[in-house]
Amino acid sequence: MVHNSLNPEIRRLPEIIVNQIAAGEVVERPAAAVKELVENAIDAGATAIDIAVRDGGKAQISVTDNGHGMTPDDLLLAVERHATSKLPDDDLVLIKSLGFRGEALPSIGAVARLTLTSRTADADSAWSLSVNGGKIGKPVPAAQGPGTRIDVRELFYATPARLKFLKTPRTEANHISDTLERLAMAHPGIAFSLEIDGKRRFQYWRPANDLLDNDAQLFRLAAVMGQDFADNAMTIMAERQGLTLSGFAGLPTLNYPTARHQYLFVNGRPVRDKLLFGAVRGAYQDFLARDRNPALALFVDCPADDVDVNVHPAKTEVRFRDPGLIRGLIVGALKHALAEAGHRASTTVSQAALGSFQAQSQAPYRTNTNHYAPRGAAEAVAQYFAPPNTGTAVGIGLPDLDAGPSARDEPFSEMTSGEAQDFPLGAARAQLHETYVIAQTADGLVIVDQHAAHERLVYEHMKTAMANGDVARQVLLLPEIVEMDEAAAGRISDRAAEFAELGLILEPFGQGAVIIREVPALLGQIDITTMVKDLAEELAEYDKALGLKDRLADVCSTMACHGSVRAGRRMQAEEMNALLRDMEATPHSGQCNHGRPTYVELKLKDIERLFGRR
Amino acid sequence: MKFTIERSTLLKILAHVQSVVERRNTIPILANVRLEAGDGMVRLTATDMDLTIDESVAADIGASGATTAPAHLFYDIIRKLPDGAQVEITANDGRLDIVSGRSVFNLNCLPAEDFPGQGDGDLPHKFTIGSAELRGLIDRTRFAISTEETRYYLNGIYIHASSGDDGGQKMLRAVATDGHRLARVEVELPDGAEGMPGIIVPRKAVAELRKLADTTSAGIEISLSDTRIVVSFDNITLASKLIDGKFPDYERVIPTDNDKLLAVDCRTFEAAVDRVSTISTEKSRAIKLKVDAGNLTLSASSAETSSATEAMEVDYDREAIEIGFNAGYLLDITQQIEGSDAELLMADAGSPTIVREAGDLSALYVLMPMRV
Repeated sequence: MVHNSLNPEIRRLPEIIVNQIAAGEVVERPAAAVKELVENAIDAGATAIDIAVRDGGKAQISVTDNGHGMTPDDLLLAVERHATSKLPDDDLVLIKSLGFRGEALPSIGAVARLTLTSRTADADSAWSLSVNGGKIGKPVPAAQGPGTRIDVRELFYATPARLKFLKTPRTEANHISDTLERLAMAHPGIAFSLEIDGKRRFQYWRPANDLLDNDAQLFRLAAVMGQDFADNAMTIMAERQGLTLSGFAGLPTLNYPTARHQYLFVNGRPVRDKLLFGAVRGAYQDFLARDRNPALALFVDCPADDVDVNVHPAKTEVRFRDPGLIRGLIVGALKHALAEAGHRASTTVSQAALGSFQAQSQAPYRTNTNHYAPRGAAEAVAQYFAPPNTGTAVGIGLPDLDAGPSARDEPFSEMTSGEAQDFPLGAARAQLHETYVIAQTADGLVIVDQHAAHERLVYEHMKTAMANGDVARQVLLLPEIVEMDEAAAGRISDRAAEFAELGLILEPFGQGAVIIREVPALLGQIDITTMVKDLAEELAEYDKALGLKDRLADVCSTMACHGSVRAGRRMQAEEMNALLRDMEATPHSGQCNHGRPTYVELKLKDIERLFGRR
Repeated sequence: MKFTIERSTLLKILAHVQSVVERRNTIPILANVRLEAGDGMVRLTATDMDLTIDESVAADIGASGATTAPAHLFYDIIRKLPDGAQVEITANDGRLDIVSGRSVFNLNCLPAEDFPGQGDGDLPHKFTIGSAELRGLIDRTRFAISTEETRYYLNGIYIHASSGDDGGQKMLRAVATDGHRLARVEVELPDGAEGMPGIIVPRKAVAELRKLADTTSAGIEISLSDTRIVVSFDNITLASKLIDGKFPDYERVIPTDNDKLLAVDCRTFEAAVDRVSTISTEKSRAIKLKVDAGNLTLSASSAETSSATEAMEVDYDREAIEIGFNAGYLLDITQQIEGSDAELLMADAGSPTIVREAGDLSALYVLMPMRV
């Protein structure tokens, strides 16, 4: 334009160009179009939404809902820019619906062939309206049940540049599926189905009407995140200053290499926010190795004026008026839940154990004795459970088991089974392979990994001791000057007081540098420069410096590892019982420092199932 | 190549050179020791590219020549031969035959030409130092060498000629520090060392040199440039690269006006520190010194609420002071003090403390307190 006119006039852009520009922001890829359309359907009060896409959404996206529908006049207005039914009072402060900008339909209409077909509940026929590359047609009568169906064909045909930047159909389809999963998690009361190229990707049913809100939520999460999650989820519920946090968090024993299974919803809106990841890491810090991540879905409900959703057209980012409050709420609630779940090991583990028990028991029976002796680990259990329990276990010598596992029965003189079984972890009965403690509880049996359990106990004791005492600090003979960019140095200096509590004394040193004067003595000789730079990095990323605590905890946990009972050590009955009682008394004893369970529990009914009694 | 040698003679020099060879090597030839026979002598060389040890010994030479053989294997074989045995070593066709009595070993060899040569180059500074003096310099400083790799310039002993600016005599100084404590030891400046540059001798070279220095009472010849040091005595030559870095200006951290002088009987003090620190099992090993007129109370406490105290009589007449230290660091220093009286010069609980042997100005230790 500049090059063919010496005196370019400033002119108002035609509506269609404006819409195409807007489309660039609102509809960056097919998944975004799907999100906009589905959100419209949700705002229309639909209870079932069916989505079908072809060729990754490039060829066709169709969204059918059973919401309240639109009249022909509504249809015409809907495709006008900034026309919306969702801001009744023109108040951007109190946004209660998912959409509000009035940009979605005209934007999509500007870059694709859009057909809207809709019928209100009380109308006797449906009306249909087409928009092709921004050119709006006339409403014509059509045939359809109540609700709205929106068809988007040849998305981005009007903006070929964007079309070129789309990824493969499979990738785009995965994005769509991802987007829908999040929406489905946020709206458990609505049934969703997704068809990709004619194949059903998923179908999330509406939960039965008699389920309570919370159960309905879990029902839907189980459908999306898998039954494993539902089985190992802790309910999260917390409230503070008008903010409500609800949802479910997985036990630390259910962990993944990436943070992909972490979902945050703010007022029913799925958002991706670093704030969540930082808070989650903080809460799970003690329970998981650095490279493992828990699964969780959290829902924050806050007054509409506490959060700004109008940050980005795609609305995946939000701004909180008080991010500290939200973070505090999340960390607090998670820690509380983790403490309560203290020694509940994940059932996935015991399910897996049970599975292998079952597989083992199908091994061929031995024919040279008249004892039916299943092989393998189940043997020991079977051996134990074979006789009726008399409280004082007696070793039963199967003739050909001498070379078998070293199950060892202990005479229990001082403790009758009655009283010991009342403890949650029961009474120690035997030690297997000098590594695992078998205990009998009131309704099943518990297998404890003696090393993992003891390591965790020692670690918890050390941590308590560390929290109670001051951290000893080694003063540096040669203070270390760490240079970094000015912002990073500022962030570090601002937290000097916080670091001082952990034994790291530092001061600003000119611009873009800090000087380290004292370090926690526990760390010995360390690479201070790298540590401080990592801390700065973390502050930038999470607004929280976990690194130093992590390192101190690392030292503790290494010391704990060396200072604890090893696998392969024989334990006396008294020792085993003491270990069990200690585990009950210690918070967070259900998993070791690396997120593995310290014990698994098999319920009696599971055992009965193994023997076909149920 | 062929030679015959008495087992214990070979074992001795082999022990010297093989300790340079790293257990794990990415370059196969570095796992080998080079053998060269000629002129009535056998010469063994081993290197890790930074440090090279070279030693010769007289032997009955059958045929001259050179080859290389796996160092640790060779050493283990010779070690296990009976004492007093004669060993005949022959190299041909890439194999090394070791024959002793009825034992025969065949080792795979690599050609001697592939063995990395010692970097030559001009070594402009030469001086001779007594082996006892050298041992003293190393022994009393090496404990303070840093093991932390990022400040690589602290991973060795800094050796230089003191300026004598303070009016004193010029001395040869060895300094080591890990950022928590510092040791400075000096001996009279040998002839020829006046113009030497300040050099940092890496930890591994220090360790090997210290071992070799035990084997002689003769003077030790040191030649050096900015980048290399060559130490030779008897039939041994040790050559090492120097750490290419700038040692910090250590003089600045040695306090000059610490006036709280605490005089203790070193052995009593050492034993007391050791006893009391038993309690502080954690890594930091914090111990607290509480001093008032004539009295020192050592105390330690651990996280599990155990505690220990011990009191001892000392010479002290300044105002009372409480100061914490890492007990391990304190013991490292007291172990360097051979005499019976030690002096601690303190300022306050957050400033460096000087430790030295009463009446001995040649060695000085600086220790940073710990805040407990």
